[in-house]
Amino acid sequence: MYDPENRLTDAYEPEVGNLPNEDGGRDEENVVKTGTTTVGISTENGVIIATDRRASLGGRFVSNKQVQKVEQIHPTAAMTLVGSVGGAQSFIRSLRAEADLYEVRRDEPLSIHALATLAGNFARGGPYFAINPIVGGVDEDGSHVYSVDPAGGVLEDDYTVTGSGTMVATGTIEGQYDPEMSLGEARDLAIRAVNAAAERDTGSGNGVVLAEITDEGVEIDAFDDYETAE
Amino acid sequence: MQGNEQQAYDRGITIFSPDGRLYQVEYAREAVKRGTASVGVRTEDGVVIAADRHARSPLIERDSIEKIHEIDSHVGVASAGHVADARQLIDVARRQAQVNRLRYDEPASVESLTKEITDYIQQYTQTGGARPFGVALLVAGIEDGEPRLFETDPSGTPYEWQAVAIGGSREDIQTFLEDEYAEEMDLEAGIELALRALASVNEDGLDATGVDIATIDVESEQFEKLAEDDIAERLEEFELGGEN
Repeated sequence: MYDPENRLTDAYEPEVGNLPNEDGGRDEENVVKTGTTTVGISTENGVIIATDRRASLGGRFVSNKQVQKVEQIHPTAAMTLVGSVGGAQSFIRSLRAEADLYEVRRDEPLSIHALATLAGNFARGGPYFAINPIVGGVDEDGSHVYSVDPAGGVLEDDYTVTGSGTMVATGTIEGQYDPEMSLGEARDLAIRAVNAAAERDTGSGNGVVLAEITDEGVEIDAFDDYETAE
Repeated sequence: MQGNEQQAYDRGITIFSPDGRLYQVEYAREAVKRGTASVGVRTEDGVVIAADRHARSPLIERDSIEKIHEIDSHVGVASAGHVADARQLIDVARRQAQVNRLRYDEPASVESLTKEITDYIQQYTQTGGARPFGVALLVAGIEDGEPRLFETDPSGTPYEWQAVAIGGSREDIQTFLEDEYAEEMDLEAGIELALRALASVNEDGLDATGVDIATIDVESEQFEKLAEDDIAERLEEFELGGEN
């Protein structure tokens, strides 16, 4: 654990709280998972993150129909919950605490690249098992979208998709993305991608949650169906 | 001679005197004054740190007298006081600079590095069985494209400066800097001011082997030490050299 007496301890651990211990012996059948389709699209004026709202048990049962799978973790950044709900929730709380601590200490927010690096370090260092979030945000350098994989891989892209509906949603965005597109156009494209995944992926569905991130902040809205979202 | 009453309060570092003073910390400040001076000058184009490192014998290898240290490619430190104590703090700063890169994949800011050092120093003013650091540091570097210059003292307080001196003859050099400093200097003018400031308290003049200078340029963001020849050239140009 990070030791405040010795500030040079592990660079890969949170300063507040602990990384979860080993996952061994967890009852996989009863772990609530998101299944999920989460989409992040970067435009010149901001970032759109869209997710579905379904949580499932053992891949057979819809255990929740109104999950909010995107959370603000920084004044101008948000992250998606993908994989084990418990792991993802604690991951988000940890990152939010670290981002707040950094900002209050240094009087400036973490850059999105630093935030994604920190997320990758935590994912790699501690078994937040099977999480695969998207980090999206805006900083001095502009808009950024990163995917973070369970082994700590951190990759930036113009747009990225994670979760069980990845194949379907990516197909919807592929060829339609344009770096010049407006935030509104990116929003529509993200909704279409989540909708397509909801139609074909059993782990995704029950509406859409949208996060609109600009240099002003993060706005998150939930919609029961895809038409009203548009 | 001091009376027994006062002595009691300078035995333990963690003991306040009745009038609220920590004598050990004040003694540590005296240790800084016994060291040769270091000077820092912040200009629009970068930061200059310079240190007086004159040798006590011509037989010593000059390079073994280290008063200016690279912390990371964009940050340097000059020290005054106990060199051995300085080395400990410099290693803290070097490791912390790398921790920042590992953790955030970004260079550490000069301010946060300074505060890591001063927080470390402060622990030694509050922990029993240890003594405070008998050294002051100048932490100079580039942060978000801006030049920054900080001082750390034995109490663990960070200060930011436009131009500052630490170590022996500090007051005199500081007065010199206050008279001569101008905000719109370029880096070369900063080097000149730093050398003149060190020379202002050296009656015999400076000699290139007895001065250490480093710059951190805003453009390159790189810590660079001046070669002895370059220092000698400037000393001659500014007529600051000794008779050798």
